[in-house]
Amino acid sequence: MTLAILCRRAFSDLRQNFCAQVITTMVVSLSILIFAFFTLLYFNLQHFVDRFGTELGLTIFLTEDTPKDRIPSLYQKLTGLSEVEKVTYISSEEAFGRLEHFLKDEKDVLEGVDPQFLPPSFEIQINRAVFQLKRIKQLAGEIDKWPEVSKVQFGQEWIDRLYVFSGLVRTIVVITGILLLFTAAFVVTNTIKLTVYARQEELKIMRLVGATNMFIQGPFLVEAFLQGLLGSSLALGIVFASYRYLQGFEAKSELLRGVSICFIPWHYTAAIIASSVLLCVIGTALAMRRFLRL
Amino acid sequence: MISLESSIIRLKDVFKKYSPDNIIFSGIDLEIEKGEFVFLTGPSGVGKSTMLRILFCAERPTSGEIWVDGVILSSLSNAQVPYLRRKIGVIFQDFKLLSNRTIFDNVALSLEVIGLGKKQAEQRVMQVLEGVGLTGKMSHYPLRLSGGEQQRVAIARAVVNRPSIILADEPTGNLDLQRTEEVMMLMEELNARGATIIFATHDERLFENTHRRVLRLLDGKIRI
Ligand SMILES: Nc1ncnc2c1ncn2[C@@H]1O[C@H](COP(=O)(O)OP(=O)(O)OP(=O)(O)O)[C@@H](O)[C@H]1O
Ligand SMILES: [Mg+2]
Repeated sequence: MTLAILCRRAFSDLRQNFCAQVITTMVVSLSILIFAFFTLLYFNLQHFVDRFGTELGLTIFLTEDTPKDRIPSLYQKLTGLSEVEKVTYISSEEAFGRLEHFLKDEKDVLEGVDPQFLPPSFEIQINRAVFQLKRIKQLAGEIDKWPEVSKVQFGQEWIDRLYVFSGLVRTIVVITGILLLFTAAFVVTNTIKLTVYARQEELKIMRLVGATNMFIQGPFLVEAFLQGLLGSSLALGIVFASYRYLQGFEAKSELLRGVSICFIPWHYTAAIIASSVLLCVIGTALAMRRFLRL
Repeated sequence: MISLESSIIRLKDVFKKYSPDNIIFSGIDLEIEKGEFVFLTGPSGVGKSTMLRILFCAERPTSGEIWVDGVILSSLSNAQVPYLRRKIGVIFQDFKLLSNRTIFDNVALSLEVIGLGKKQAEQRVMQVLEGVGLTGKMSHYPLRLSGGEQQRVAIARAVVNRPSIILADEPTGNLDLQRTEEVMMLMEELNARGATIIFATHDERLFENTHRRVLRLLDGKIRI
């Protein structure tokens, strides 16, 4: 009953100040939109780095004089490692075959070359669950000390760079988040202040005839709740639509296939909506405090 | 000695100053009985409105204690003030009507804030509007009404929730003789039904022949 009255009053207020309400909602929406785009970028970069890291794996080159009968025991040793998901042995001949395949039409440059000239190697895929750059580095160092191993290779520099970059993006996300939070809070409280200011005579009179603060604030808080909810949902909706659009691109384009973009995890999405709502409601309550004395 | 139980309003040594050289009340002691009808008078600017404002907590006294219906006002928090005000109907000197609401809605506001059902509220508003002779104008807006009509809307809003205390600040200030007579009759009727009334006015004629108590404010004190 009281909730129904509250909502009726909120909607009648809403109709009266429709323009101001729309503008506030738009500001909330725009702020969240910018923030959400950065967040999306960050999660995709993170996603990409993680995938890239696991897919890169390690390549372990053996010394040329490693006897063939050592291979199975080395294979065993590698599969026994907890970080390792899958081990593939690439013999000198196979490596040579790959090179030939890679060169295609120009493979005659390899004419007369000894098929054994490439060292045999192991290709290791890292277990996704345990992927951690530090551990992989450590592992590479250890394997490098084995007498049969001549060199351990992995895209460490690349991964390092990507991690630095994604750290940078995270910092940007956090900073824009905070800045936009303040901007949105500032605009929301100011619009509310203007609306309340324009109607302070009315609110004062309500108080004089015995209205509680909750009665006066109620409709404003409902409006703020709706603004926060609609504003953030709209923004996230736009981000989601763009995400689906990019996904369509990805499916069509050879270059992007396999990049596999991801959306902001759902609990982050929920957190963004919740904080937007909270921000609007708290901002409104604070902005109105001044008008509700005596 | 007046017994505490029967006095609905009691002031003890009340001071009010806006600044060191703007002292409105300098030590007011006053008791008003439950069901009493008193006139509060004095020259313009003496503090009649201020006195009423203090009684319904729109203003706090600088010092002194005030009891209204058994409640010590200084102990009331901001959140409790609305509940006190629901027991008090105030007729404001400047009406304080909402210009963006109809006469009906203005009067209904008093009932709306206490959460009375729509049907019941409508019935009571109609009844009160009839009492002040404004049934025909209930869907008009205040600014399209004459001063006297606006004053009667203010009266209707103050009495519609049947308060036990009525603070009337110059309720006849804008009315002609006949309307003044009607308002006085209305006040008498409300008083007869048990409401305690403080009637602030500078118009001596209103209490010329009355047997009622007349409180005269002068130089920050009450002289009877
Ligand atoms: N907020 C305020 N700040 C400073 N002075 C004030 C304030 N409010 C009222 N006053 C002063 O208090 C005095 C009493 O004002 P009040 O309105 O109570 O007079 P009144 O007796 O109701 O007069 P009137 O008969 O003209 O209505 C006036 O001199 C006024 O200037
Ligand atoms: Mg006055």
